[in-house]
Parts: sequence; C-alpha cells; structure tokens
Amino acid sequence: MNLIAQTLADGLVLGGIYALAAVGFSLIFGVLHVINLSHGILVLMGAYLALILSTALRIDPLLTMPLVMIGLFCVGYVYQRFLIQRAVDRASVNSMLLTFGVALMLQNAMIWLFSPDMKSITPSYAFASFKLGPVNFDAVRVSALAASLVLLSLLALFLKFSPLGRVIRATAQQTMAAQLCGVNVRHVYALTFAVSAAFAGAAGIVIGIILPFSPADEGNWTLNAFVVVVLGGVGSPAGALIGGLLLGIVNTLTAQYVGPAFPNVTMFLLLVLLLLVRPHGLLGNAFAASR
Amino acid sequence: MSILAVDRLSKNFRGLAAISDVSFAIEAGSITSIIGPNGAGKSTLFNLVTGYLEPSAGEIAFQGERITGLATNRIAELGVARAFQIARPFRELSVAENVRIGALFGKAGPRDVAATTQRGMELSAIAHLAGQPASSLTVGQLRHLEVARAIATRADLLLADEPCAGLNPTETAAMIEVLRKIRSSGVTVVLVEHDMPSVMEVSDRILVLDAGRLIADGAPREVANNPKVIAAYLGTPEAA
Amino acid sequence: MVAAAVVLAFGPLVLPSFYVRVGQLMLYSAGLGVAWAILGGFAGYASFGHAAFIGVGAFAAGLAESYFPNLPTPLLLPLGLVVGGTCCAILSAVIAYPILRLRGTFFAIAMLGVSHVCAEVTNNVDFFQGSLGLNFPPIAPASMDPAIFFYELYLVAGLAVLLIAWKIRYSRFGAGLLSIREDEDTARMLGVPTERYKRLAFVVSAVLTGLLGVIYGHSLGYITTESVYRDDTNLSLIVYSLLGGMGTLYGPVIGAFSLVFVTQVILGRLLDFHLFATGLMLVLLILLAPGGVLGLLKRRAA
Repeated sequence: MNLIAQTLADGLVLGGIYALAAVGFSLIFGVLHVINLSHGILVLMGAYLALILSTALRIDPLLTMPLVMIGLFCVGYVYQRFLIQRAVDRASVNSMLLTFGVALMLQNAMIWLFSPDMKSITPSYAFASFKLGPVNFDAVRVSALAASLVLLSLLALFLKFSPLGRVIRATAQQTMAAQLCGVNVRHVYALTFAVSAAFAGAAGIVIGIILPFSPADEGNWTLNAFVVVVLGGVGSPAGALIGGLLLGIVNTLTAQYVGPAFPNVTMFLLLVLLLLVRPHGLLGNAFAASR
Repeated sequence: MSILAVDRLSKNFRGLAAISDVSFAIEAGSITSIIGPNGAGKSTLFNLVTGYLEPSAGEIAFQGERITGLATNRIAELGVARAFQIARPFRELSVAENVRIGALFGKAGPRDVAATTQRGMELSAIAHLAGQPASSLTVGQLRHLEVARAIATRADLLLADEPCAGLNPTETAAMIEVLRKIRSSGVTVVLVEHDMPSVMEVSDRILVLDAGRLIADGAPREVANNPKVIAAYLGTPEAA
Repeated sequence: MVAAAVVLAFGPLVLPSFYVRVGQLMLYSAGLGVAWAILGGFAGYASFGHAAFIGVGAFAAGLAESYFPNLPTPLLLPLGLVVGGTCCAILSAVIAYPILRLRGTFFAIAMLGVSHVCAEVTNNVDFFQGSLGLNFPPIAPASMDPAIFFYELYLVAGLAVLLIAWKIRYSRFGAGLLSIREDEDTARMLGVPTERYKRLAFVVSAVLTGLLGVIYGHSLGYITTESVYRDDTNLSLIVYSLLGGMGTLYGPVIGAFSLVFVTQVILGRLLDFHLFATGLMLVLLILLAPGGVLGLLKRRAA
C-alpha cells in the first residue's frame, strides 16, 4: 500500500515538472502550428545557464530563474522572427526540419562548451526530505514542483486575462481576422515563441535540480513534451498539467512495476494509442474549443 | 433500364430535412441537369449517390444494383465518377500523369492505360496540355482535368458538380461542349449547374429541387414554364 | 548509369584506403536514402525514425549469427540478411497498421518515437546486448582487403536498392504512391488502394533499410546501441532527399554523395563538427533551396 502511494506521489511530483517542461511546446503548437523540435534544447539551455549563473553568482538555482527566463525570451523572439518564420513561409513541414537542424547544431555546441558528461545542479537543501503520512517527499523535488505549479498558473492567468494573452488567443483562433483587426501576427508569433522559450528555460532549471542532464537528453525532452501535448491537449496550461501528471504517473508506475528500463517504451505506446484514438488529446485543442 | 434510380430518398440533418422523398430515374446515355435555388439540396443529393452520406430513408440503385450505404470507393469502382467544383488535381504531376491515375485504377483494372488516358484527355479537350504540371493550369483547365480524370476511370456515370461555376462565357461553352462529347462517347452525365442558358441548351431532361423536394422533372421547355419552378426562384407575387 | 556503375566498381582499386572507406559510406548512405525515399519521397510519408530498421536489422543479424559460430563463412552474411530482413518485415508490417493512420507531422514524430523505443529496448534488455555491444564474425574473404570487399558489397546493395526503387517508381504501384502523396483522399476516390499501397511501401522501405543495416553491422565488426540507433542518421536520411530533390529517384543519391563528401572529406578532421554541419546544412537548405539540388536545376531549365 505504501509502495503504491509513494509511487503515485512520485509520479505526481514528476508530472508537475513534465507539465512545465511541455507547456511551451504546447503553446507553440497551438498558436503557431509549429512542432518545435528544438524545444528540448531550449530546456537544456535553461539548465546549463542556471548551472553557470548559480555557481558564478553563488545563489540558489531557483533564483536564477528571472535571468534565465529573460535571456531565453530574447533568444526565442529572434529565433522565431528571423529563422522559423522564414521557413514556415515556404512550407509548414519545413519548420520541423529547421528546428531539428537547429537542435542538432546547438547540441553539438553544448557538447563543445560543456562536455558530453552528465551534470547536475545541487541546491543547498539537496538532501532534505520530509514525510506526509506514509509518503516520503524529497525537498528538492517538492520545491521544483511548487515552482512548476506557480509558473503554470502564472501562464494560465496571463493567457486568460492580460491584453497580450488575449491577442495571442485571438491570433491562434482566427489569424486572418486578427490581422484585419490590426494585429501584427509575426510579432505576436515571435512573442508567443519567446514566452514559450522562457518557460522552457525555467523548466530546464527545475529539471536541472532534480535530474542529471547532458546534451544528449534533448531529444527526450522534446518527445516528452509531444506526448504531454497529445495526452492533455494542445495550447493550454491546464492541458499540459493533465498530460504531464498522467505521464509522470505512467512513468513512475512503469519504472516501479515493470522495470526501470521501460518508462519510455510505455510512454511511446501510450502516445501511439492516443494518436489513434484521440489525436486532439483529452482536453482537445484549447484554441479550437470555441469553434 | 435506367442507369441510376433513386427511390423515395430522404436525408435529415438533426431535424433539418435536406432531402425529402425524392424519386427519379436517369436514362443511360443522357444528359440530365439538376437545378434549384441555393440550399435546395443539390450537393447533398450528389453526396448521397456517391456514398459520402448515408440516406435517412430510401434506396439508390446503379445499373440495377442496390448501392445504398456502400462506401465511396466501392461505388467509384462500380463506375460512378464525380468531378468536383473545387478541383483537386495532383499538383506536382503532369496533366497526363493525373489522367493516367484514373486509367490505372478505375473500373475493371488497368487495361489499355495509354489509350484510355489519351481518350480521357481528348474528350476533355486538354490533350494539348499533356506534359504541363497540374499546378500551372487555370481554373477552367483544372475543371477539364477533373472531368478527364473522372472519364479515364472508365466510369459509366459522371456526376459533375457545378462544372461551369466561375467560368467566363467562352470557358463555359467549352465545358458544355466537353460534356456533350462525353455523352456521345456513351457516358451518362448528370450535372448540378446554375448557368441557365447552358442548362437549357444541353440537357435532355431537367430536375428541379427546392427545399429538399423534387418540384419538377421533365424536358427543358416544360420545366421553364412550370409555375412552381418560377415561384421557387422568383417567389410568388404575394410574397415578392 | 551502367558506365557510372563500372567506374564505381573499379574505383577502389586505385584509391587510397581513406577514400575507399568514404566511398563505402557514400554508397551505404545513398542506398539508405533511396530506401527511405520509397516511403518518404514517393508516398509522402516522411519518417523521422528509419534508423530503427537499421538497428533492428543489424542486431537481429548479429544475434542470429552468434548462435551459429561454426557456420562456414560464405553462409554468414546470407543468414544475417535473411534474419535481419525478416525481423524488419515483421516489425514494419505490424506497426504499419496503426502508424500509417497518422499523417504528416504526427507520422514523422511517431516514427521518431519508434526509433527511440527500439534503441531503448535494445539497450536495456540484456538479450540484445545493446549496451554491452555485439560482435560480428568477419566475412571478407582472406584474399581481399576488407575495405574493398565492403565497398563492392555496398555498391551491389546500393544498385539493388536503386533498381527496386526504379521499378517501383515506374510501375502502377509507384503511380499510386505518387497520387497518395499529392492527395490521398482524392486518390482513394479514384480507386487507388491507398491503405494497401502505403503498407507495402512501408514494409519494402523498412526491409531494404534493414538489409543495409545488416551489411553495416558487418562492416563495423562491433556494434552498440549508439552506433546504429542514431538521431543524426534519422535526420540525414531526410536531408539526402531534401538536398537532392524530394520525391525523385536519384535525388537521395546526389544528396547522400554530396553530404558524405562534405562531412567526411572537407570536414573530416573536425569530427566534432558532424552534428553541427548536418544541422547547418539542413537549416540552410530549408531557407534557401527547399526543392533541393534537382529542384534548383529544374527551375533553371524552366
């Protein structure tokens, strides 16, 4: 009984983090209709940046978040506006290939800069833990989860209530009409991508403090994000949360009861199953909901 | 025997009767036009015959065989071809390659593919465009391509969905001529069309739909003078 | 074509061995590119995970051969090819049903997932020896330089793949595949058996890829998960067609030869650059020449 509870709790904690790691990808897919295969690399950039900053400035890694997010926001804006948009203008599948190419380039760059070895970020409270009933919670993971939930909520509020959020949603639902209302769609796309990149970076920090990471992981994070989107639906933080939690639980349950080698296999099988049965995810396309 | 027989056909969409109790029989080798105001149910009728939609009631028979409820490609295999108003060519392939697909996969398998392809293009007056990529064709030419490809499947019945929509008078006349040649080659043609002069000129028979019901069925002269038809298009004097 | 084949066949006798190995890689890559294009170029189902079949083919062959250590050498490769090919056939036939129901980007990503899953299973399940590594018995005849032997083997294999692709391209099957790529629904309406054709193209593509993977395994002599299930291979297969002309028969060959030449000969010393170079080429291609080399030539001629 305790084992199941522990496994589920671990799954939920992991899931919250997966959700944060996927929400950026989901937003881009929903608004720009682009599958950003360099998503995983942006996540890793966040992790490496946090590593450098927290060591250099001697602060807690979670405190590097504002800096990392701003940095990746700028990178994301430029990347989308001047590179991805050009590719999309020619044919939509090109965006996938372009982002895949950029991911490879950046992966290579990271291997030069940081070496292919695993790294991790160790915050000062790394070995603390506490118990809630029969279940053990590791302090680092819990703070990571808390950060994730806070950020996800902030994003949801931003999309729902802020003027820019509304513009983004409008553009996603009816691009042509938005343009006719004076929306500079390219600018909005770039901003959306920038927001997404910022959140990817934040996710990287969160991941960096709980798991060891290396440049080779980037593919996995992109695929993870894809699965979360398929599970939970496109374009909404709520969908990402549901998808993430599901994925997290599937992950820990498989690792515990089937074998530590198989979480990705189960994830993939789940992915294929869902693509066949409900390709728009459990919550559907957040932007198409009003159609 | 009529090539297409529709008996008491009805189709409802959640309470809206798109087609109500429609019956008619088309003679082989004829050109029949289906006309009616917008929303009368003409496209729905085509969708029912080709199997895109299942009828709520009634039966459809093609060459004496019941085809109600069969899958679209099954019906296509039996010899019913459709040319769409919004043409869907294989853009990267040439005109000849497009038509050849029809010949390769149409009714009764690949026989005399080259000859059938050539014939399809000639009947549709696009043989001179054979080597050009489909992406370079004008709207009118694309319509001809749709028809050519449909004919190349060795279909016995061609359903043409507003083939003259958006065409100028010259192009319209060319399309009508193509439909005539197709009829002469032995294929039965049923078209939905709005262009009245062409319809009056080319049809052996006209069916008039209004609000899902068949309100007239006969030779062009009769139908043009039918008060119910006039009322459907122009409204009755009281309502005007 | 025949002249080119003859020249290629005699090439290795005069070239230094570095170039012979580059030649091997060129022919291997060209073969893979053409095999990929049968599904991706002709039918338009661009798979982002064909490395899965390289891996499955290589590991299946290696494992099968390790069970028969006393088999006379000339029978080893045929055994490997049969086992590797059959495993790829079975795998692809089974996943074809669910996976070909996806289109476009979903299909691409699902295949990427297949590749990652195969890699993971091979790595984590001891039976496959993915993490430990698998040894291949040597198969080159004693009298011949192994580099030249494998070169000729790749040449024969590459030509065979090209021939099969050529036959498909100009057959009724091929015409059907092209129509599927252009407009699958309309093709279906015209009577093309789209589901059957897609599955067939998928299996043929997978098997040919797997067979090349078997040869690759032998030429390396020792393989691990990382040496065959590679994301850069996944990407390269697409790049070859993009570079040379997506959907054409010779495009992937041109693309493969060019890309291998650039990365091996020009950038040969800078091993660390490979991922970067492939990525950069892809980015430049997308931005500047989406029709590939053949596309550019076509536009010049028009």
